[in-house]
Amino acid sequence: MELAEFKAAADRWLDEQATELAADFEGIGTLDQQLEQLRKVMRLAYDAGFMRMGWPERVGGLGGSNLLRAYLGETLTARDLVEPGIYSMPEVLAPTVIDYAPAELAADMVPRLLRGDENWCQGFSEPGTGSNLGALACRATHDGEGWRVDGQKVWTSLAHYAQRCVLLTRTGTPESAHRGITAFFVDMDSPGITVRPIETMHGVAEFCAVFYDGVFVPHDRVLGEVGGGWSVAMDLLPYERSTALWHRAAYLQRRLEQLIAAAPAGSLDPMAVGEATELVWAFRARSRATQRRLTTGETLGPETSIDKVLVASAEQAVFDLVAEGLGSAVTLADDPVSQRWRAEFLYSRAATIYGGSSEIQRNIIARRLLDLGADR
Amino acid sequence: MDASERELFAHAIRRATEDRSGVDLDEALDELGWVAALAEDRAAAVAILFEAQGEANATSSALDQVIFAALGVPGLDPASVVLPPLRSVQAPGRFDGARVVIQGLGTDALARGDTVIIVARGDAGDEMLVAPVSALKVEEISGLDAALGLVAVSGELERASPPAAALIDWGAALAAGQLALGHELVGNGRAMLELARQHALERTQFGRPIAAFQAVRHRLAESLVALEAAAALLNAASDDSSPVTAAMAKALAGRSARTVARHCQQVLAGIGFTTEHSLHRFVRRTYVLDQLLGAGSVLTRHLGTEVLAAGSLPAAFPL
Repeated sequence: MELAEFKAAADRWLDEQATELAADFEGIGTLDQQLEQLRKVMRLAYDAGFMRMGWPERVGGLGGSNLLRAYLGETLTARDLVEPGIYSMPEVLAPTVIDYAPAELAADMVPRLLRGDENWCQGFSEPGTGSNLGALACRATHDGEGWRVDGQKVWTSLAHYAQRCVLLTRTGTPESAHRGITAFFVDMDSPGITVRPIETMHGVAEFCAVFYDGVFVPHDRVLGEVGGGWSVAMDLLPYERSTALWHRAAYLQRRLEQLIAAAPAGSLDPMAVGEATELVWAFRARSRATQRRLTTGETLGPETSIDKVLVASAEQAVFDLVAEGLGSAVTLADDPVSQRWRAEFLYSRAATIYGGSSEIQRNIIARRLLDLGADR
Repeated sequence: MDASERELFAHAIRRATEDRSGVDLDEALDELGWVAALAEDRAAAVAILFEAQGEANATSSALDQVIFAALGVPGLDPASVVLPPLRSVQAPGRFDGARVVIQGLGTDALARGDTVIIVARGDAGDEMLVAPVSALKVEEISGLDAALGLVAVSGELERASPPAAALIDWGAALAAGQLALGHELVGNGRAMLELARQHALERTQFGRPIAAFQAVRHRLAESLVALEAAAALLNAASDDSSPVTAAMAKALAGRSARTVARHCQQVLAGIGFTTEHSLHRFVRRTYVLDQLLGAGSVLTRHLGTEVLAAGSLPAAFPL
């Protein structure tokens, strides 16, 4: 199906199903409510075929270009039907499982994710290794037909809701750095896993600390090669900075538009509004170019670090304006709509931190795109 | 142009801009069929030439050609077009009874030519006049960037009767010129970034190249981010052919080039502050181009004012 045809069909369906798809809560809701809403939208969109478009047939998809997925997320976000951060997680995790899991496993698991029956999480960061991913310490050791995992992960989004986890572990020596890492696809109900949600300043406990204590993982759950986890991670990260970010562009555009409509006259500086609009448009343009490169089959790489730096700048510019134009909503009011502005303002403060900090992105740009050599 | 034609054309244009400028570059562009390329695939022709021209710090009459082509008057011989005054986007002519008062800028090609085109603001819309260059006062400007060869154009003319053409779409001509200058600013920025990058790799302090210091690396990385953001928006604006997006893209390109100038000046430090080094040429050009066809700050403030007045954002280009 072509993009134009898909757009028309998806929007027609969304118009027709508007009542059924709408959230039954106001404002940001609780995480339970957000996830219930996400499951409902994904199931309906999957059963109607839209959520299957743009995914390969071998994992229950209906084929077609990645642009179809990009557009579906864009229009769901623009209609305020899903929270783009949690909606976009399959954009990051499903391609990894499709590319690296045994074929039968991918064919069994991916449809559950796309249909909203399951949530998956991504176990990368550790207390001792935030930016320095190559130094991770969570250990996996051989044990008969599989592996035993011991260690701790942190900042694992939705671990308390997730049925599966794409987990990075150390299988080489502690000094093996990025060469001694292995990726696994772990069932979150495995004995020995303890999940503790982290309370964050924006008030939505979506991140968790996850403890692995002698957790058994069968050998057929290795993603890619033993010792090849670094390339799994490196292939995953550009996905985190492509289709998911196009969805985020739609979100920023919508929230900026809502701010402009809601801000009292005279509360916003025209210069700041102009600058934020230009930044959102530039990010959108950059992300669109990335989408088009994906469509032609290009492999994404370090240049997506530019997209990540841009989305963080655009997001903070938009929410800096929110703090001005909707100052009382952000600072004082406690109604659901104000609470949502406040939570999203606070979340925007983390935009330069999560998913690889802006400093790490600049390091990648300096070394890989500007060829400035090693930084020590 | 398909991808391979585009690559060949870009290569030829780049070679021409590397060692020619002004009249020489115009001759080379004629031989390369640049005007035909402009007619066939404006977005590609403009992006390729103006980025290359910016990177080489070269000048040509291409801006006049772009604006002339976008005016789209059939049967008119190509000529230079008077540009708005510094910082402004308004057509440079204004009607005062039966006379037209002209106040604007011109390229060095305008000063060399015989005929000039002036767009003037009328009550019913913008009208176009064609006049001999000799009918106007044309003064050379040295200013911040003498090598750019800008001239100040002023004077008064009789209103043509009947008008030389029906109403003219100055907005479309302005947008085409803004995109061209945006690409030139990006090219100009890429040249500064490359100069700073080379210096950072060669200059050694405390026993290692300064490129090894994160403070330096991050300035250069920020410069690349700024340029790629501007380049992406310029390309989207070309696809979109909306004057609002073109103005945004030009404003952002100016802001990005100024960011790059600041970071690269800092990285190039002492040597970059001398006239022995070529950085100063690009810094000068950045600040002048940012002020032409609407200063970046003017365009950005105007956008914000319009958005606030409408209570909504402009239509965005689709996926």
